Amino acid sequence: MTIVTKTRAAVAGLIVAILVTAATSAQKPASKIPRMPDGKPDLSGVWITGALQLLIGEDEARKIQQADRAAGRTLPPSEPPPYNAEGEKQRQYFLSRRGIDDPMARCFISGVPRITTRPLPFQIIQMKDQVLILYEAHHAFRIVPTDGRKHPDDLEPSFLGDSVGRWEGDTLVVDVVGFNTKTWLAGVGTVHSEKLHVVERYTRDSADTVRYDVTMEDPEFFTKPWHEHEIFRLRPNERLREYECIENNEDLLRFEKLLQTDPTLQTK
Amino acid sequence: MKQLLAAAACAVVLLTVRTAAHHSFAAEYDANQPVTVSGTVTKIDWTNPHIHFYVDVKAASGAVTAWKFEGYPPNMLVRQGWKRDVTLKPGDVVTVYGWKAREDPALGAAREITFADGHKMTAGPPAGTGGR
Repeated sequence: MTIVTKTRAAVAGLIVAILVTAATSAQKPASKIPRMPDGKPDLSGVWITGALQLLIGEDEARKIQQADRAAGRTLPPSEPPPYNAEGEKQRQYFLSRRGIDDPMARCFISGVPRITTRPLPFQIIQMKDQVLILYEAHHAFRIVPTDGRKHPDDLEPSFLGDSVGRWEGDTLVVDVVGFNTKTWLAGVGTVHSEKLHVVERYTRDSADTVRYDVTMEDPEFFTKPWHEHEIFRLRPNERLREYECIENNEDLLRFEKLLQTDPTLQTK
Repeated sequence: MKQLLAAAACAVVLLTVRTAAHHSFAAEYDANQPVTVSGTVTKIDWTNPHIHFYVDVKAASGAVTAWKFEGYPPNMLVRQGWKRDVTLKPGDVVTVYGWKAREDPALGAAREITFADGHKMTAGPPAGTGGR
């Protein structure tokens, strides 16, 4: 073996060692996370996620991003919505109208997962056989039974659907069905049908973070499942405040005016 | 490095896709039309889903235009250090940076307010948030 070959082998070995270390640390089980008396991770607390800079300002958001880098916390790359031809046609239509049709702008309760990924805090209250999620947005709440029950058979389509939870190891898995079609999933035009099926996975991966992995399936609009990932940040000194969207929603009147005067919004 | 690049790319996509707090920025405002005006605050509506504040702006000719600006809702402003009736008051002389509305010529989305003593406060989201 020449010196060059030996050096190459050493460098290759070093790279492998670094990669293995990185992978191991990424998969390292969460240590010192709070747990319930039954041993399950306790998800309780006030959390924020999404575009943090909008909620807490850019300086504060930057500190969180720096802490992420220091901890090696990264998320998988964002996926485009896997729409079929009809879904994409609808999305493009709403994009061409600059998002003026966004149900959120009409103060409708956002569905799942958008209610979570909006830049407004939410509080999780974990109990023995149910988990409550209280959202600052729209005073919305979800009750997630974890006692083994199934979805009821008399579901009416609703904004937040019906949630049932179960534990898979240290991860809370929430299955959500029964949605109406009056919500968007993420950004502008992310429509869905009543057949939307959402599976959320909540994993408390450190004392002050929860890893949130969502899978959305929609046989009418998607060609394959769509995945989203987020990190929840614990805010021990935070409390839920009030966001009463309909108080003075002048946007609706402005939208009406724009719809009559803006040529790009004349298409139907 | 690759991870960093992936994270950066991811962040950019997220920013462009779903940062709206209430409505798409582009629905009402034009990111290509930034505006900076100086004048005297006359009124503040501390309401959801946006606060609005009004600024009398005097032109060289002496003509006064009553500008109206939209900002974050109260729950987001208080988390960034605002206090109702304290941070921004009628009579304050301010410079407002933001973007013009597409329809109303004296309506804007406020991004930042500079006060007479030079200190600045964030008033609303950056342009382009919310899907486009």
